[in-house]
Amino acid sequence: MLFNTPAFEQLVDALRRLPGVGKRSAERLALHLLSAPGEEALSLSEAIVEARRRITRCSQCCNLTDRDPCAICAHPGRDHGLICVVEHPSGAMAIEKAGAYKGLYHVLHGALSPLEGIGPDELAIDALLRRISGTVREIIVATNATAEGEATALYLSRVIGQRFGTAVTRIAHGVPMGSGLEYADDATLAHALEGRKQL
Amino acid sequence: MVLRELHTDGFRCLASLAFAPGRGVNVISGDNAQGKTSVLEAVLYAATSKSHRTNQETDLVQHGRPGFRIRVTAQRPGRDVAVDATWWHGEKRFKVNGVAQSRVSDILGKLPVVFFSPEDVELVRGTASIRRRFLDMAISQLEPPYLRALQQYRQALKQRNELLKQDRVTGDLLDAWDEQLVRHGTVMVRSRQGFGQELARFAAPAYDAIAAREGLELSYLPDIEVGEDYARVLLENRDRDRRYGLTNRGPHRDDFELTIEGRPARQFASQGQQRTAALALKLAELKLVRERIAEYPMLMLDDVLSELDTKRSSRLFNTIPEEAQCLLTTTDLTTSAVPSGLACSVFRIRNGALTPA
Ligand SMILES: [Zn+2]
Repeated sequence: MLFNTPAFEQLVDALRRLPGVGKRSAERLALHLLSAPGEEALSLSEAIVEARRRITRCSQCCNLTDRDPCAICAHPGRDHGLICVVEHPSGAMAIEKAGAYKGLYHVLHGALSPLEGIGPDELAIDALLRRISGTVREIIVATNATAEGEATALYLSRVIGQRFGTAVTRIAHGVPMGSGLEYADDATLAHALEGRKQL
Repeated sequence: MVLRELHTDGFRCLASLAFAPGRGVNVISGDNAQGKTSVLEAVLYAATSKSHRTNQETDLVQHGRPGFRIRVTAQRPGRDVAVDATWWHGEKRFKVNGVAQSRVSDILGKLPVVFFSPEDVELVRGTASIRRRFLDMAISQLEPPYLRALQQYRQALKQRNELLKQDRVTGDLLDAWDEQLVRHGTVMVRSRQGFGQELARFAAPAYDAIAAREGLELSYLPDIEVGEDYARVLLENRDRDRRYGLTNRGPHRDDFELTIEGRPARQFASQGQQRTAALALKLAELKLVRERIAEYPMLMLDDVLSELDTKRSSRLFNTIPEEAQCLLTTTDLTTSAVPSGLACSVFRIRNGALTPA
């Protein structure tokens, strides 16, 4: 019987750690990988290893990239005086897809959450502070509209305000409360960036 | 709202049920443990995604079934509403008019109901947390922004309490969470104050009507008053909060006080007065919701007659407005207490099966 074998359970546990995968979907995925032809599982594992090897964090914006600095940080046409701070690469991707924003990004890789043991040191906050110079006019904080995202936004405005005095704004309208940026549609996001306010 | 039909499948001990109550008062009569309360509980679950008896959906599933389904169709002014609530293989799903709902906040208020059960006497004699739960549930059904503020407040409070226990807590980090507590807590306190005042206005006459004497007063007791400098209160309590490892002040410490004839009902009222006061609160909620949304919520009274003497029972019926639909359970088939002016249908329940009597 397959179900109680340690190998199967290990695979299910590993899949369950992925975002949005519950116990039942993890079992379904595991069964699929095990009953499909051997090459399918092998090519998936190779693709994961290869992607992990090639894709790293941009040394400037901390977004995921296959070259350093990333295409956005290296682009001369982008407005280097604007930095939009997001929690995850998915947030930057969502704003990029909306197409209205021409500045740079900074990816924190999370939000403040004492319950999960995430403090300022666990986030790419130092890297953000190192980027702030005279040429940066404005930091737009686009963390999620959750309690954690809001606390992170406020913390950043405090720290940046104390050390640099650079303008810190927060996207305001339309982003649904309690949810992530990636769930907002393009128009909502464009509007949210438009309506940002001083923090 | 008027409940048109209730269908259940796999819910508690109810037989696959299709129940179509009438307008006015619907009496569901049956012996104990036949499923009377479960009929009301099913409607409550569809309306609020919660049961009054348990927090665990597994308790609601019929023995040997993988889950349950509830379907409620209701008539509301200008539109009909159908809610499908299912809990199947551990997954909870809600649909409103066929559209899947991802959050509880999108369900509340779709089926406005007011529910009274004998355990509600705890509203009068129990701890403050029971009264806060009543406020939260009642206001959340009426004001979607309240529910959002409440959820954000609770999350921020949990995070702040955890932070207070950690060594690396700094003033800047606490500021970040304090700001959230102030923002969402202020919304909560304002709403609770408005709701409390309205509830007090309706509760006094509701109590008079059933008890046939005056005397119920209600006052909301916010831990931090509206207009008080909330942020400063948090700041002043910071050292204490760190010593205790929790947040000492805020709306999570609110309460409301009930007095009967000038004396705190919690300690000094008789059991009968406490029951009448609890019922008066729910009838006040009925009137309050009517005033806010211009329609009566459906009133569900579980086993209320066993709590009241005959005089109080018949006075209770006199306070139920004609336009309001009411589901009432009882072990006693007599409907003699129902005044002739009220439309009344009677159903019998036995082994989870309902039949018109
Ligand atoms: Zn970059």
